Amino acid sequence: MRSSTFRIAAAGIGSVMALAACSTGAPTADSSSSGAAGGSNNKTIAFVQGVAGDEFYITMKCGIEAKAKELGYTVTTQGPQKFDPTLQKPIVDSVTASKPAALLVAPTDVEAMQAPLEQAAAAGIKVVLVDTTVNDPSFAVSQISSDNIGGGKAAFEAIKKAKPNGGKVLVISVDPGISTTDARVKGFEDAAKADGTYQYLGVQYSHNDPATAANLVSAALQKDPDIVGIFATNLFAAEGSATGVRQAGAKDVTIVGFDAGPNQIKALKDGTVQALVAQQPAVIGSDGVEQANNALTGAPVEKKIQTGFTIITKDNLDAEGGQAAYKSTC
Amino acid sequence: MSSTTEHQKAGSGAPMETSASHENLVERVKAMQSVWILGVLVVIIAVFGVLAPTTFLTPGNITNIAQNVSIWAVLAVGMTFVIITSGIDLSIGSVLVVSSVVAAQVMERMGDQGWGTALVGLVLSVVVGIFWGCLNGFLVAKANVPPLIVTLGTLSVALGVAQILTGGLDVRSAPAVLQDNIGYGRLAGVPVITIVALVIVVLGGILLHKTRFGRYTYAIGSNETSARRVGINVDRKLVQIYGFTGLLAGIAGILSLAQYGTTTIAGQSLTNLNVIAAVVIGGTSIFGGQGSMFGSMVGLFIPAVLQSGFVIIGVSPYWQTVAVGSILITAVYVDQQRRSTASGGRR
Repeated sequence: MRSSTFRIAAAGIGSVMALAACSTGAPTADSSSSGAAGGSNNKTIAFVQGVAGDEFYITMKCGIEAKAKELGYTVTTQGPQKFDPTLQKPIVDSVTASKPAALLVAPTDVEAMQAPLEQAAAAGIKVVLVDTTVNDPSFAVSQISSDNIGGGKAAFEAIKKAKPNGGKVLVISVDPGISTTDARVKGFEDAAKADGTYQYLGVQYSHNDPATAANLVSAALQKDPDIVGIFATNLFAAEGSATGVRQAGAKDVTIVGFDAGPNQIKALKDGTVQALVAQQPAVIGSDGVEQANNALTGAPVEKKIQTGFTIITKDNLDAEGGQAAYKSTC
Repeated sequence: MSSTTEHQKAGSGAPMETSASHENLVERVKAMQSVWILGVLVVIIAVFGVLAPTTFLTPGNITNIAQNVSIWAVLAVGMTFVIITSGIDLSIGSVLVVSSVVAAQVMERMGDQGWGTALVGLVLSVVVGIFWGCLNGFLVAKANVPPLIVTLGTLSVALGVAQILTGGLDVRSAPAVLQDNIGYGRLAGVPVITIVALVIVVLGGILLHKTRFGRYTYAIGSNETSARRVGINVDRKLVQIYGFTGLLAGIAGILSLAQYGTTTIAGQSLTNLNVIAAVVIGGTSIFGGQGSMFGSMVGLFIPAVLQSGFVIIGVSPYWQTVAVGSILITAVYVDQQRRSTASGGRR
């Protein structure tokens, strides 16, 4: 009896390992070549996402891979299950151990990821911060992100265009302490407060969960049924806000989303979201590879690059707006 | 219902097995889940060692893995006790967060960056942890609410309290001495945080395997009614065990502050499940009465080593969760089979 049990168990474990082995086909070759090469011939770039499976980071990955191919690098991409520094740190540590030539990373916390990334830089890896940043990014060769304060202002302008008579406006953000969304909120807040016809109701945090965002928005509409505009600072916040508005039965609320994943584009087409502020993740990615390459080859590096935005509405969806939409596969 | 009685039968057969094979040490060692699972860990390490010889088995990577499991190891000590009593504690991640929040807020007010402040923080963190742990234990033992429900409740309540205390904003001011010496300090090349965790694990192992407290823990998990009949104060023991788990979550809260320099309020959301998975992979029975500290530690390293190895050889992150989940189910399946065999040949 016992031996059969062990056989089945061994088969189970064996299949897991086989799985690991088979899915690594190509990357194994990459890592062995990088191991053999070492030093200056190392042509691997590691990309650590803020969270796996998010279209923003997938589009960024597409940009990275396209540029890397052009410059002759191979790319491995990793990401934590949640946007959570306690899950991202072990991944960054392992990437550091795998000694890529360069690391493109979207830190999940300004403080918690500081030391792990300093360690990576100290190990001789060229670190490029993409999208998010840390408290003291001096160890990084370059930082590439959207001008998020500008993005927040753009979101307010989009609400203003749809609701020129003013009124109450609300912000649904992710979590406090994320540099990008905090900056978007600040940009929006400054613009809203500067305009006397609008009443800024403050910011609520959805913890990156659409259900929480939906609850927050429907509760806010209970309290203030006359809200005219909602700015949702990321993908999940926008999805949830649209649900919340529908749940509350509110009709005349302008929702401006940040980012432009397939679901937002669909929401825009359906009319649940009226405008999207799209970042340029592919550009962030390809700029990141370019700066990493400059650092590796000794060419001059730009310390800080800010990329722009595209405002997508129903009107420009077939033209430049559609092209700015994020991808779910490369 | 019928499955419960089956499991209880299997569970009650287990101690018999240990005593029956007492004369044959080899048999006894072979029968231990932790030994079997250690073999799995060795195989995994060997596979990655072959696939990535220059990067995986480096001292740097090994210390990184050890450093990254340290906080979970402290939590797993308590979880092993709780699961051996056939209980569960889902609230450890939240208790860790609320402990670190209280400690960080007070340390921030004190303003000083020295050891005195750090010590106050540690004491506070531990006190808060014990409070939540004892609350869990009291509700489980005296109010007769199932542990799954109690700790699911305190998971939300503790996290909510942390958010109320801070307004949802992480406190980012751990004293420098804590971060420099504990979080990222090294002693003879070994991360200090790992040494701290190791000491706690060893003490926890002694408490579980060598003291009356530990034997009572097994007794409660094997058969609570019998434990009561032989005169063990089960209620008080349960409060103590959950309180002890809370205490460890408090220590983990300070260690987390030392390592991350922030209270990670939005993080730690998967900590409870990861720790439970590790303890169960390590051979501690979810039905109680069986388990070992050594097994829990091996169980902790399997997901950690898998993740590190997969990252290094460049496997998609999605496969990592598939692999860990498969190993979890396989480990429990083997455990069940082994036990039903031991309890009278039923296949």
